[in-house]
This record gives sequence, structure tokens and C-alpha cells, in this order.
Amino acid sequence: MASIQCILNTGNIMTAASEVLRSPPKSSTELITSLRSHIRSSPPSPPPSPSLSSTTKSPLYIPLPPTPEPLAEERSEYDVTVKLFHLSSAPTASHETHTRDAVKRVLENLGIETIDLLILSLPGINFDADDFANEDSTEDVEAWLATYQTLEELHQDGVISRLGISEFGTTRLEKLLPRTTIKPSVNQINVRDCCVVPKPLILFAKQEGIELLTHNDCTDILPQETLQNVLVDEFALLGEERKVMPQWVAKYTAVIRSRGVVENKGYIAMAEIH
Amino acid sequence: MGLLALGTPLVWDEAKKRADQVRQLGIQQLLEIWNSYRGNERDILLWGDEIEYLVISYDDENKNATLSLRQAEILDALAADEKLRKAGGGVPEINGTTVEFVPSPYECYLVIGLNGMLTVYRKSDPLPTFHPEFGRFMLEATPGAPFSLSWKDLLSVEPNMKLRRTIAKKHMAPHETPITLPAFPRMGRDIFTTPHYPATGSKSRSQFIPDECINPHIRFPTLAANIRSRRGSKVAINMPVFYDVNTPRPFLDPTIDYDRHLFPEDDDVRNGAAKEGHVYMDAMGFGMGSCCLQITFQAKNIGEARRLYDQLCPLGPIMLALSANTPILKGFLVDTDVRWNVISGAVDDRTEEERGLKPLKNNRWKIPKSRYDSVSTYLADDPRLRDEYNDLDLVIDEDIKKRLIDNGMDERLSTHFAHLFIRDPIVIFQETLDEPAEGKADHFENLQSTNWQHMRFKPPPPGGNIGWRVEFRSMEIQLTDFENAAFAIFTVLLTRVILSYDLNLYIPISKVDDNMTRAHIRNAVLDQKFWFRKNLFPPPRMGSRAGSARTSPASTRPVTPIAVEEEYGLFTIDEIMNGTKDRECEFIGLIPLIESYLDTVNVDVITRCELAGYLQLISKRASGELKTGASWIRDFVGNHPEYNKDSQVGDRVNYDLMKMVERLGSEGIAGDGKEQELLGRRG
Repeated sequence: MASIQCILNTGNIMTAASEVLRSPPKSSTELITSLRSHIRSSPPSPPPSPSLSSTTKSPLYIPLPPTPEPLAEERSEYDVTVKLFHLSSAPTASHETHTRDAVKRVLENLGIETIDLLILSLPGINFDADDFANEDSTEDVEAWLATYQTLEELHQDGVISRLGISEFGTTRLEKLLPRTTIKPSVNQINVRDCCVVPKPLILFAKQEGIELLTHNDCTDILPQETLQNVLVDEFALLGEERKVMPQWVAKYTAVIRSRGVVENKGYIAMAEIH
Repeated sequence: MGLLALGTPLVWDEAKKRADQVRQLGIQQLLEIWNSYRGNERDILLWGDEIEYLVISYDDENKNATLSLRQAEILDALAADEKLRKAGGGVPEINGTTVEFVPSPYECYLVIGLNGMLTVYRKSDPLPTFHPEFGRFMLEATPGAPFSLSWKDLLSVEPNMKLRRTIAKKHMAPHETPITLPAFPRMGRDIFTTPHYPATGSKSRSQFIPDECINPHIRFPTLAANIRSRRGSKVAINMPVFYDVNTPRPFLDPTIDYDRHLFPEDDDVRNGAAKEGHVYMDAMGFGMGSCCLQITFQAKNIGEARRLYDQLCPLGPIMLALSANTPILKGFLVDTDVRWNVISGAVDDRTEEERGLKPLKNNRWKIPKSRYDSVSTYLADDPRLRDEYNDLDLVIDEDIKKRLIDNGMDERLSTHFAHLFIRDPIVIFQETLDEPAEGKADHFENLQSTNWQHMRFKPPPPGGNIGWRVEFRSMEIQLTDFENAAFAIFTVLLTRVILSYDLNLYIPISKVDDNMTRAHIRNAVLDQKFWFRKNLFPPPRMGSRAGSARTSPASTRPVTPIAVEEEYGLFTIDEIMNGTKDRECEFIGLIPLIESYLDTVNVDVITRCELAGYLQLISKRASGELKTGASWIRDFVGNHPEYNKDSQVGDRVNYDLMKMVERLGSEGIAGDGKEQELLGRRG
């Protein structure tokens, strides 16, 4: 049985904070909670394609195809940041297609043509404050590079202004940087206690002109099982025999730069149903 | 304080006759401003704080600390500092405001934060400016230029405050020091100034505070005298004493001289102005000599300014209680923790008729509040503002309201200004009446800036490129710049959260008044509950499509609103700040909301770490893990060997307290780790 592409979106979660922010925020749950909330608040959609037939090329939208939410003010007023998570169930070979698709969908959704900063999240790369462990020398720089090169192309095409990576420690940065054409200007790390960022990383980042930004996203932003549950609970979608395989998640924010007001924040994700 | 115009001030009997003229000119100026600036759009966020200092003079030999009355000399020294002035700092009131910005000739300043963070001030950073204040023992300092929301700017707030303290200190005599404490503990008690003057001045006619305590600029003594004249008696401030084990019961303020016959107003105390069980204060100086921490924000347009004004309004009393720092007045421990009502009483110029003590004859209205009091009306053009929230019996000048409405101003804003303009201008300079009123704001400001409410809605000054602003005015000044920066930054971030999440904090404004009363009670931060809205978030998306909630017809369709009384409940400050636990009414808490906001915008690791430190202070003050300044000072006094558990804070206790407060302010240290009870453990 061929797979079906399934596009999930949360809509603007800033306007749905009553649902999303009921309890202290953990972004591990933010995507799932906001997805559930968005599904529940959407009008009943036509029943999911009867047998989930894969004859049609168009993807299955959950809850519905996203309605574009153009920015309220001029584009130049905003900082638009996208963080693209390539999930572990997606093969590296698909990263290029996935990246381009994700970027296209975010652009369409916000009614814009460029992204100010795109931060790449690669599967299996987790920042470790000790900066030594987890970074064995056999890691596949080539695989990172293949994915990263798509971003460089999008940068050259003028679609993305600044490139970012996430969870890279010094060792990994030292491996990646010499191979890049466009250096990342951002490295985003998840530090519970920001004061324990290893000094070598701070110094190295400074020397390379890389900004160290923080985030609070969880390592596994869209676990397969959780998504399967959502689709079953909220959409009565999947039968036993069907299996959902999350591929990528794009988290986007549009912040009015001079006023620090977040106007739009949301997620678009793609999963394959096998 | 606004810019100080020079001229011939009218005594009250003269000023009274010109009051209407000033009000009319003020409204004319307001309309002019409103018409020129109502269309302003997309002004960026700029903000600034005001820090006020008391100048302490030590007599180390006799272990005494008093207020130094050398404000003028210190300001002169600051103004004469060529380097400071050329760098954009200085004293605008003396130097004039047309100082052209040139890079600082100071090589650079190194400022070490309490946390050990080192900040280098680049040559190009404008240096702070200093301003005179009502008290001749006070200084006000503002950043040389407003802050933006850039992380670099947020992180420069604390170093900037420290720099202000350093510069101020540098221009004082060796035995003097600036401290940040709302009220001098022994204000109005025995010999409390250097030099000493007897309390026999004809302006205040106070038993306790000499007129020499007032800034000699003619505006200030006139202000004090005209408030007294208008009122028809001295102001009377009674704050409940804190009964300690050895405090006599009943407590009758032992410092009052009932036999003085110097001024007609000396009868006040014989006619019962002083209440049993209270510390009695009788002059403007007790209030206007207090120091506050005030934050002003520029909004993107008039609509956002009005919205922020309303949304911050319910937070006023909460932040007042959370920043409590005033446990001692006139040398007595009191049963209140904050300065607010002292100031309110200190400038209460209402006549007996206006206060409802006599039937109306010469006055137009009975007025429920002092000119310095909590806000009485919301003013936003916001569909969420239900009529039920404006539930106070608001006194307004109907003629002024009609004039504003006839000129195109909407109902709510007209009401706001028609309310402010029920007051009389207190100080009128003869010369200003002879000059054309166009293109200026002096008459408008005469009323606007002598309405000291806990929020201030500030129209743009004519002719400039400054936008619509909102001032948050309730917070008490904190002992250290770390705390002052924390409260300032918390407030700034909170405004961003309010706008980003479209929060709705409305509760009936009478409940804000009620909260203001609660905020005064000793240890209110932990012991009191406050009215707060249960659900701050916009209603859930209902059948509308993704993200179009803001504009879709579905979300604008009126839903049957729940009863207003159901919308709010009583919460502890801990619950408001840190979230509710085990309650049917779930609330995430303002601090977690700010965290969530910070997780959404791009923040660098250093900034995030610094901001976490500030948020933690606020969070722990709310939970009680850290003490407020008020309760820290109470404990200091309580543990002092010379304190006799009789509520009296004597010279020696005061001296040691001032030394401690100075040390906290300059080094963040109180000895024996005592600072940790106040500030927490710092990196």
C-alpha cells in the first residue's frame, strides 16, 4: 500500500493560548496540545478520505488545509524565524524535498517571500553541556552537510537570510564549519540552566561569529506514538493496520521587531501514513 | 517632575480665580495634541525608568544619619560636570534641554553588577541625566536615552542604574550617599536634616518638617502652600502604628505638640486631626519626599497606549504589594508596608465640602479621592471593556467632556480627561497666562501632571517625535539596583506578554481600589488575597479556521458573556505570579507566561540567564522564599540590640539601617549573608 502524505497544522497558537498554556509551558507538549486544540476548534471536516486512498496526489490536511494568515504589518517590521525539525523516521535522502516543502508551506501560510532565520534541527543531535560525550568521531558529517546544503541554496536564492543550526557542541561545530559555504549565524541550544553553557563553546561561538540562542523545545518534538494517538482520538482516522510516520515539523514565529510583540506562532508538520 | 518653568507663582486666592482659564487653555492644548498625534502609527517600543534617591548625610562620630539638604549643590556639581554634560547627561533643568549629543569623553565606564557581570560602557552611550525633585534631599536620575527592547538594552538596565548611583555619589560630599528607599525612616522626627532647621515654616506650617526641606525652586513651596490653602487646613496623614509588645496601648502619637500656637493650622491637632493608634503626619513633605520606581512605555499608537493603560491598571496594587519597602514612618514601625497612602494624604487638597464633611456650598462636587490615588476609570477603546468594569461613581466636568466630544474625541477618553480636569491647577505662573497657548502643553500638563494616579496616560509632547506613552507608577523603589532592574524588566516583559497573548486583565475598577487598600496591609504580599481575573486568555477558537480567530466573523460574534462577578476571584500574589496549584481555576501564572514568551522569541544564552535571575527574584518574592524590603527592614529593626520593642526606631537603629541600606545599594552585601534573604543566592 502506498503512503499518504498528511499535513498537520496548529494555526496561530498565540490566539489559542487559553488551550495551549493552561499549565506551565513545556514545549514538549506545546505542539501536541495546540494540534489537539486546533483540531477540536475546527469545524467538522469532511470525513477523512474513505479508505485513505492514495489515488489522489493531494495530501490529507489535518484538520483542514491551512488558511493563510498574512502578517498584519509590512514585512520589514517582522523577524520571521522558522525552526525545521527533521525527524528520525525521515530518511536523510528526503531532507532536501522536505526542507523545500516545509519552507514553501510556511511562506504561503504567512504570505511572505523570505524567512529571516531558519534553524535546522537534525535527528540524533542533542546538546550536552559537558560538550564531550555524545559526539563520537564516526558521525556522518556528510549527512549533515547534505541537509545543510539545501539551506545554503535557499540562502543563495534569497529565501532565507540567516541560517542556524541547533544543539551543536564545539566538536560538532568544528567538524561542520569548514565544510559550509554559508556559515551558520546561529546555534540554538537547550539549556535548562543557562549558566552552565560550557565556556569553550561560548568562546568558539564568539570567535566564529555565531550567536548562541536558547530554546525550550524537547528532543523528540513529535513522537510517532503520540501523533498516532492524536489522529485516533481526535480524528478517528487510523485503523489498526495503518501506521503514521512523522517526517518533519516546522515551527514558525513572526515577531514585530521594534516592539517585541509575537504576532504569529504555529507549527506545520508532515507525516506519512503507511 | 516635569520641567520647571520660572516665573511669578500666584498665591492660592489669585490662582483660584484663574483656574477655569487654565483648564480651558489646557483642554485647548490637549485637543491640539490629540488632533496632531492621534494618527501616529508604528512608534517603536521605547521605555525608561526613573530612580529617585534620598541623599543621606552621616555623622559617623555620633552615629547619626540624617537627610542632606544639599540637593541644589549636588545638582550644580552634576551640571558643572563638563564631561557628563557633553556625553548627553547632566541636569537638563539647569543645562537646558538642547544638549547636543556628543560621544562621551569619559574613556569608558566599567560597571560590575551584583552578579559579578562586567559591563563596559562604550564612549558613545549617553550618560544619565539628573533632575531635581520636591524634597531638597532627593535626586531623580533617568537613563541618558530611553531603552529599546533589544536584549543588549535590557541587560544594560542594571549597569545603567549602578552607573547613575556611582555618578550621583561622586558628586556628593564624602559623608553623603544616595540611597534607594521610599521614605526616610526618621522623616519629620527630631533633628533629621543636615543642616537642621526648626519646623516653623509658613509654607507647610508643619510641626515636624521645616520648609527648608522643600526644593527652594518657587514651584515647590507654592505647591505645598497652595495645597494647604485650598484644603483649608494642613494635610492630615494617619498611618496605623505597628503594635509591638512594649508599644503603649492606646497609642497616641507622642511627637505631637498640642500646645503650639504659631499658625491657625496649629488648631488642626486640637480639632482631632491625629487619630489614636496612628502615626500622624501633617505636611506634603512626608509624601512627596518619597521615592518611587516608575516605568514609562511608548506604545505603537494611541490605541495600544490606551489598551496597555487599562491592562496594567489591575497590576498596580499587586506590584505595589510585591515591591513593599516602607515599614517605618516618622521613626515608628507602622502596620503598613507601602508609601502610597502617605503620598495620597500628603497632597490631598480637597476642601471639607469636597471630602463630604460639609454640605456643598462653594465647591462643585463631592470628590471621593485625593489627586494622588488609584485610577478611577478605564479608558481603552476595547470591545472587551464591559461597562460594568467602570463601576465607580466618577466625578467629571460635564462641560469639558462635552467640549472634547464636540471636537471629535470619543466617550471614554473624554471621560478620562473630564475626570482629571475636575481638579484645580495648584501652581499658576502669571507669565504663562499672558503667552499664547498654541503649540505648547504647559496648561494641559498643569492639570495632567498634578493628577498623580497609579497609571498615567501621556499624550505626546507637542512638536516632538515622541509617541503616546503609558506610565506605571505604583511600585516602590527597591534597596538595590538588581531589584530595581528586576521590577523594571519584569514590567516591560509583561507588557510584551499582554500584547502578544492578547491578555485580558480587566476586573471592575472598584476591585482595583479594594486591592490598593489590601496592598497596604503589613505583609500583604504573603498574607492578603487580591482580586484578579480568572481567565486572562482570549476565548478559545470556536469553529473558526486556523489563526483567523482575530478577524473571522465567528470570533466577533457576541457570545453570551458570563456574569462579571464570575470573571474574577481572590488570589494570592504567589498564585498570580507563579500559577495556581490544585485549584478548579487553573492559571499558569505571570512568570511562566513570561518564560513562555521568552521561549518564543530568539534570546541568546547570556541574556536568558540574566533575565532568569530577575524573574526568579520576582517569583520568590511572590512565593515568600525571599523577603520584601519592608519585611527585611522590619527584621533588621526587630533584631537590633537598641530596639526596645516599642515601635520606636531611634537614631542609632536608623544610623545602622542606613549604613546597611547603603552597603546593600552599592555592594549588594549586608553581612552574614543577610542579603540572601532579600536577594537570593546570586551567581
